[in-house]
Amino acid sequence: MQLPAFDEGKYNFFDVSWKAPMDTVSGITEWSRDINSVYSLTTIICTLVFFAVAIPLVITLVKFKQKPGDDSPPKQFHGNPTLEVLWTVIPVVLLIFIAVPTWRVLFKHSHVAEGSLEVEAIGHQWWWEFRYPQNGKIITASELHLPENTPVHFRVWSADVIHAFWIPKFGGKTDANPTSFAEDGSPTRWNEINVVTPLLADKTKIHGEMYQGQCTQLCGSSHALMRFNVVIHSKEEFDRWAKTAYTPPKVETTLAQAGEQVFARCQACHTIAGTPSEQIPGVKIGPNLTNFGNRKYLGAGTRLNTPENLAAWLREPSSIKPGSLMPAGLVNEEEIAQVSSYLRLATAKSY
Amino acid sequence: MSDAAHVHHTSTDIENRKFAMWVLIASECFLFGTLIANYLINKGRSLSGPTPQEVYKIDVTTLSTFDLLMSSVAMVLALHYCKEKELRKFQFWTAMVVVGGLIFLGFQYHEFSTFVNQDGLGLSTNIFASSFYLLTGCHGAHVTVGVLWMSSILVTSLIKGKDWFNSEIVEVAGLYWHFVDVVWIIIFTVVYLFVYV
Amino acid sequence: MAKNLPKTGLISWLTSVDHKRIGVMYALGSLFFLIVGGIEAILMRTQLIAPNNTFLTGDLYNGLVTMHGTTMIFLVVMPLSAAFFNYLVPLMIGAPDVAFPRLNALSYWIWLFGACLLNTSYLVQQIPAVGWFAYANLTEKQFNPTHSVDYWVLGVQVVGLASLIAAINFFVTIINMRCKGMTLLKMPLFIWTTLVTQVLLILSLPVITVALIMLTFDRSFGTGFFNPGLGGQVVMWQHLFWIFGHPEVYILILPAMGIVSEILATFARKPLFGYTVMVYSSCAIGFLGFAVWAHHMFTTGLGPWATALFSAATMLIAVPTGVKIFNWISTLWGGKIRFTTASMFAISFVAMFTLGGLSGVMHSSPVIDTQHQASYFVVAHFHYVLYGGAVMGLFGGIFYWYPKITGRLMNEPLGKLQFWLYMVGFNVTFFPMHFLGLEGMPRRIYTYASDQNWNFWNFCATMGAYVTAVGGALFFINMFGSLKWGKKASADPWDGRTLEWSIPSPPPEYNFAKLPEVTQLDDWWHKKYTHDGKRLTPPQQPYVDPKSIHLPNQSFWPIVLAAGITTIASGFVAPANGVFVSLIGVALTVSASFGWAYEEP
Repeated sequence: MQLPAFDEGKYNFFDVSWKAPMDTVSGITEWSRDINSVYSLTTIICTLVFFAVAIPLVITLVKFKQKPGDDSPPKQFHGNPTLEVLWTVIPVVLLIFIAVPTWRVLFKHSHVAEGSLEVEAIGHQWWWEFRYPQNGKIITASELHLPENTPVHFRVWSADVIHAFWIPKFGGKTDANPTSFAEDGSPTRWNEINVVTPLLADKTKIHGEMYQGQCTQLCGSSHALMRFNVVIHSKEEFDRWAKTAYTPPKVETTLAQAGEQVFARCQACHTIAGTPSEQIPGVKIGPNLTNFGNRKYLGAGTRLNTPENLAAWLREPSSIKPGSLMPAGLVNEEEIAQVSSYLRLATAKSY
Repeated sequence: MSDAAHVHHTSTDIENRKFAMWVLIASECFLFGTLIANYLINKGRSLSGPTPQEVYKIDVTTLSTFDLLMSSVAMVLALHYCKEKELRKFQFWTAMVVVGGLIFLGFQYHEFSTFVNQDGLGLSTNIFASSFYLLTGCHGAHVTVGVLWMSSILVTSLIKGKDWFNSEIVEVAGLYWHFVDVVWIIIFTVVYLFVYV
Repeated sequence: MAKNLPKTGLISWLTSVDHKRIGVMYALGSLFFLIVGGIEAILMRTQLIAPNNTFLTGDLYNGLVTMHGTTMIFLVVMPLSAAFFNYLVPLMIGAPDVAFPRLNALSYWIWLFGACLLNTSYLVQQIPAVGWFAYANLTEKQFNPTHSVDYWVLGVQVVGLASLIAAINFFVTIINMRCKGMTLLKMPLFIWTTLVTQVLLILSLPVITVALIMLTFDRSFGTGFFNPGLGGQVVMWQHLFWIFGHPEVYILILPAMGIVSEILATFARKPLFGYTVMVYSSCAIGFLGFAVWAHHMFTTGLGPWATALFSAATMLIAVPTGVKIFNWISTLWGGKIRFTTASMFAISFVAMFTLGGLSGVMHSSPVIDTQHQASYFVVAHFHYVLYGGAVMGLFGGIFYWYPKITGRLMNEPLGKLQFWLYMVGFNVTFFPMHFLGLEGMPRRIYTYASDQNWNFWNFCATMGAYVTAVGGALFFINMFGSLKWGKKASADPWDGRTLEWSIPSPPPEYNFAKLPEVTQLDDWWHKKYTHDGKRLTPPQQPYVDPKSIHLPNQSFWPIVLAAGITTIASGFVAPANGVFVSLIGVALTVSASFGWAYEEP
């Protein structure tokens, strides 16, 4: 579809870096900048229209206030066809100025670029799972790793209720809808996001080391706590990271060994690559913990991944995330220390 | 059986209750429109059988459709004789409307029970079944209301005899009855006949 | 049975079929729920005053989100509008009553019982926590096993039935009960917006009715309409909900637009500018309102073509809306504007609604919407439309018609103080939400982290909410106090333009001693003034013996029938023997229907 030229990059008047990790107006991808340019243009038009309403309104109120003691009615007049036509036509023209860039941007980003990295983003109550189907072994949770300057094709769907997948600095959101499944267990329907990841070198645009995302569709008790983070790597670093997502944990201490034993009880819900937990069939209801030790946060981006927070989580998950499907009291204090050592240290891998 | 306002002249010269029935019918069009759309969207989405082709018995349904059509003819005659103030004929044709409605409901009961007992098609067996029962059940409920309404007209007429030729009410009830009939024609076409297309 | 019912006291209200009394009951009921919805809002804002706050639990917060939205829409703005329809439509079109007085009483009682049913969820601690839009499949039994969602479904279903009955009644009343000479284009604009509202209700309510029945079936009878595991589709609910839900937005705003049009014309002492265009634009808004539902679903995954089409239709709606705004300003232009509480609320409607409309234009662009959808930017947007717009307009209407209803004026200084508290409180609450949305704060979250830069604006918003609450308290003091201490109002205290000002305040039960005849728009004004502004002596209402005017009899059946219908619904939330409860309801409903039919009205 061919629409009149519109230089999307030009109009980012609001690219002001608000220090808000999830702000929508200082995007770092072409897509988010395109959105922001349409937004900027629209905001300018709308602001002008607002003043075109407010100024006459205020002038009218001041000018035509009833004078004290003046009780006679004003001249009665009913309308003016010219004016009516005028303020019907002008908005139509202004709307065309909003509509055309809108549609250009809409269609520009609605096709899958060649050589895209495929990522499945799967919503669960209340955490995100990420799969990389081009390398079927890579499955991770709550921390999305992407190579720089690469077109990514997200396929977004849900394992339970509707969620919405949103990384504000990358661009718009899309719903993760629950779906039915084909014979081979793959989803029959999903929503898409196409985005080219930013350049790592473009440091001026990057706030901190991670981008944040959050679910935006009311999805139950802990909807507010369904966050995730995005890490951008250089292409080489991403390849090294990818390997960690399917290398088995290195169990080096006796504490961690004991933790490995304890983890055997967790494998109905959780998977760690390269361990017997991988052999349990079916869709796991808990997040994949293969490189848990590398993750900065636990509990779907809500707490820093520290031994204290992990212990608090293991004691009573619902104290951190109300309604969490993981029951409390699965492990005693001794086992907490063991499994914490296993999860935090044995699964941490350098890359 | 009338509200105060009908004694007043109305702006459109259409009696209030008749007008209200037309408005209700507009609303009902959207109700059945939504139900039919829902059926059309869902009929092929079942994860398991039975399918529409396996359960529909077009001969029986054709018969019940014919019955409902005939009850509409009876309705026309009932209104005609009400206006003509011919008591016996009015009562006879009103009774025929009721009988026609009851026969239709009997057919529907027969159809539903056959589906459930012989074809194993319960309300929640598959999504085709759910959509089908919702649509036809809703129509059946409308027929039931119509039967109750026409029965009460019949009973009133039997009690009050020649003092009661309230053709305004009969006309409103007739509008309702014809509408329910027309909806069934659409359902018959879209639900039962389209299976064979 | 209804011949000799008392004319005063409790029974007279329970059995009343007088549109004015029903209007007052609608107003009192909806203002009560305004307090309920307001408390829900204050609780939520208190939770969000600081990051990681633990004032409320997540589940309770989600429940309050749901109940606040549902309450404000179905139990405040819709019935408060209905209060105005009830009280004013017959008076403004010169009719003795509505077309179906008993149906009118029926719709009120159904509404009230449905509202109580919905709020019973608080008493049994099963608060629906799925949002006022109740997106499937969170509403399925699997994710909400208690009766919480059933309360929501049945409450909305019952309240919706009340609206449908009322809508048919008012539609027939407006088309059929106009006094002599009042052709369609001589009706006051409020009557026109009311008419369009009824059309929207009549055509959109059946759609949500079907959706709610489907959801009831899913929850109670194990069907799978919205369960992907059984072949259903969650997006189906969204379509059905918004095919109703978008016209619903205009159902909420159109009555307020009509009220504001009347108030501005009266207090500028000039006819409404571009009356005919205002009528056509109301109709255009109503018509287009059915073609834009999918703009609530830009992130649902409709594909670019559907998205582009719905965005175009959405942008189109801005045109008739913009026309209205400029016509309101032109109505004031050249007038002699009197600043009363009523006119100040009406003027603020124009300003606030413009802001809300403009942020709506932003969302009509689906690419912008993918960033703003479900963020606080949207919360800001629709509160500017529905609170700064609809509610401000309705408050203006209360101050404007209070003297007609009670025979006393509300206190002006207190009213103006309330107005300014509202304006400041409202804007301090909701303007910062634009910033919060741009900074990425999602809607419906009960808590947020402290490192998101959202702290300050959330604090501001909460403070604004508290200021508004003070304003709200002043309103209730004013409303009840003025009943006793308010200045006595004449029949026509504002020098009005429409027929309701031609009869005494409060109006007699029979409304008009002699049904009026009109020759032009604003007929009452032209009975008071010549074309060059000279005063005329308006004709007085002739004396009639009230006994000589036939009025419809009071009736018990509406309240009994409403109780029957609500009992049927209650069966679905009953802890045990639900079928039995519903059957009692069916029996009550059927017998009340027959009692009704055979009663002499």
